Amino acid sequence: MEIISGDFEIVYSPTFVDLAEIPSVDLAIVEGGVRTEEDERFIREVRAKCRVLVSLGLCSTHGGITSLGNIFSVKKLLEKQYSLLSPSKLPGLEDLMYPICNFVDVEYYVPGCPPMPLTIVHTLKNIVGGKEPIRHQSVVCTECHRKIVPAKLDHLYGIYEKEADPELCLVSQGFVCLGSVTREGCGAPCPRAGFTCFGCRGPSDALMYRSRDMYAFLVKVISKRTNIPEEKVKEELYRNPFIFHTFTFSRFERFKARERVI
Amino acid sequence: MSQKKEITISPTTRIEGHGKVTVLLDESGNVSDAHFYATEIRGFDYFLRGMEAERLPFIISRICGVCSTAHEIASVKAIESVYGAEITETARKLRELLLMGQIISNHSLVFFFLTLPDFWFSPEEDASRRNIFQIMREKPEVGKKAIALRRFGTDILEVVGKREVHIVSAIPGGLINPLKERERQELLREAENACTITREALSLGKELFDRNWTDFRKAGDYKTYYMALTKDDAMEFYDGKIRVIDPDGETLSEFTVHDYMAHLEEKSHEWTYAKFAYLKALGWPEGIVQVGSTARMNVNSKASTQLADKELQEFRRKFGSPAHATLLFDYARLIDLLYACERAKELLEDEGLRRTDTRVKVKPRGGRGIGVVEAPRGTLAHEYILTRNGRLKSMKLIIPTQVNNAAINLNVKDAAKEFIHHAEIKPGLLNRIEMVIRAYDPCIKCATRATSEGLTVEIRNSEGALLKTL
Repeated sequence: MEIISGDFEIVYSPTFVDLAEIPSVDLAIVEGGVRTEEDERFIREVRAKCRVLVSLGLCSTHGGITSLGNIFSVKKLLEKQYSLLSPSKLPGLEDLMYPICNFVDVEYYVPGCPPMPLTIVHTLKNIVGGKEPIRHQSVVCTECHRKIVPAKLDHLYGIYEKEADPELCLVSQGFVCLGSVTREGCGAPCPRAGFTCFGCRGPSDALMYRSRDMYAFLVKVISKRTNIPEEKVKEELYRNPFIFHTFTFSRFERFKARERVI
Repeated sequence: MSQKKEITISPTTRIEGHGKVTVLLDESGNVSDAHFYATEIRGFDYFLRGMEAERLPFIISRICGVCSTAHEIASVKAIESVYGAEITETARKLRELLLMGQIISNHSLVFFFLTLPDFWFSPEEDASRRNIFQIMREKPEVGKKAIALRRFGTDILEVVGKREVHIVSAIPGGLINPLKERERQELLREAENACTITREALSLGKELFDRNWTDFRKAGDYKTYYMALTKDDAMEFYDGKIRVIDPDGETLSEFTVHDYMAHLEEKSHEWTYAKFAYLKALGWPEGIVQVGSTARMNVNSKASTQLADKELQEFRRKFGSPAHATLLFDYARLIDLLYACERAKELLEDEGLRRTDTRVKVKPRGGRGIGVVEAPRGTLAHEYILTRNGRLKSMKLIIPTQVNNAAINLNVKDAAKEFIHHAEIKPGLLNRIEMVIRAYDPCIKCATRATSEGLTVEIRNSEGALLKTL
């Protein structure tokens, strides 16, 4: 906050500043995805009033956890949760939850749930300084201290089932860690703490456009590091809903420029 | 000509999440009703069905970025209650420390960044200047202290929880990582400084509060029931029983957390995506109850730490017990904050905190379980039903903002009544309504498990046509 406030004048932010109208700005940072028609109007308005648009956080860049709501239709969601709603008084819902890039062009995407503060500061500083921000293209494994030592296991483990060895790769211990398919840049805090990576930075550059291959790729990684046959790994993974798409269950229409993902 | 009208305020600023206020006017142009409502929906309660319990706490913390730790700990406790797991004393202390970190990071944010501008500037101040950034320009040291205090909260989360937001270390059975001695020492050093800053914030808050008190007390003092966790009559965030007191301060009921859901009922209204929770035994609307900072002061007659206890006693003497004025929330929040800093320091001084027995093995089984904690905004409950192989069958969450929802609406209505007569709106309406709402610091994202949006006031006639936007 201290670092930011020197370089920027914050003119519009419902959380911190009382101003109802969106003014024209040099830089707009948008969090959150598009769930209602009001959101859609809002994001289009922001786009029209800013020179550079930064999509911040996974809800905004990829749909985030909220996009898991897409497994139900809107009608079903409302019927299940609210029987008395009067649609005329509330903003209408979109058919699904979308990332903002489905509606507008975005200059920079900063994924993460939540994005790391240093990444945000670095990105904003560079944009203001007229430089391209440093991108994180590879996978979380590159930032993880754990050693990959292939093991001989006969099944996968849940995170409560046994205590993790502090030095060995979580996958080679039989845990389903998504570090090998997830974009780096976070510093791997979860695997460092002994917890599996959940993929909250979204897929890495190499995997961004081949989401179907992501599954096959992870099955191969797990099988190689644990010596469990691929067929069996698949079988075990199938039993876990949303294992990959916890954070990225949205439908993408316009997400074309991976060069813009920080 | 007489005509029914509607006034809408959207977006509400300086709160977490997005809300809207609509004021309905009767034929003579006086207020007939007012609604504060949430405009988004996410549906967490449904799409998580089938999820393995082991991934649940980490995903469910995403309901809210601000109070993610409270959600995570409630979730972990609920799963433990299904599994019948007893955690170690070391793990219990570390979790309480995490919760204190949560209170500190949230309350310092709410006080300095969201509500302080209301007290700092006069209501006539230009809206574009009424914010923390302007305060930081005028008095940089206030900003520095605000950031240092919040830093202590987030450092606890980062060091003990291993992530600043959406902690990963708390799992059913305890915590993955013990606290290292070096980490304990570092946090302890920060704790000293945090206690000093909080004491200063409290005297600043009191000074600004005293100056505005005559105005503040007019801003609604709806008399309701109050509810909070309590342990031997003292403030408690992690353990304890739930106590409900009536508007006169007498104990209405006291029950264990396992009976929580049996004591509360939920209802929905057609005009909002957020539900209302109230006391089942008394029905709607008699059973309207409030939770949060003021409720904690009202329900508990003491605090286990020295300075917070002194402030609590002073609060109870000054404003009565129970205290009803809505804007006391901001004052009470500072006492919470002081307690959290003192308690965090107390926990960190305990050398037992570096013990390594932070984890017990759990054995998954099916059944129903509930986890309750005092979150920054009040009593938070997660109830899960798990299948035999440890998957989520269904869940029910009661979130503080849902409980306070009714009281917020009543307060908004009172404020509207004071400012609107015969369709004439006196200046200051918007600010007053926002202050009342902000006092509750409602978290709409939690109440609807929804994404966020921001407050506008629109005036509509009986056909719903927009007459005026404030």
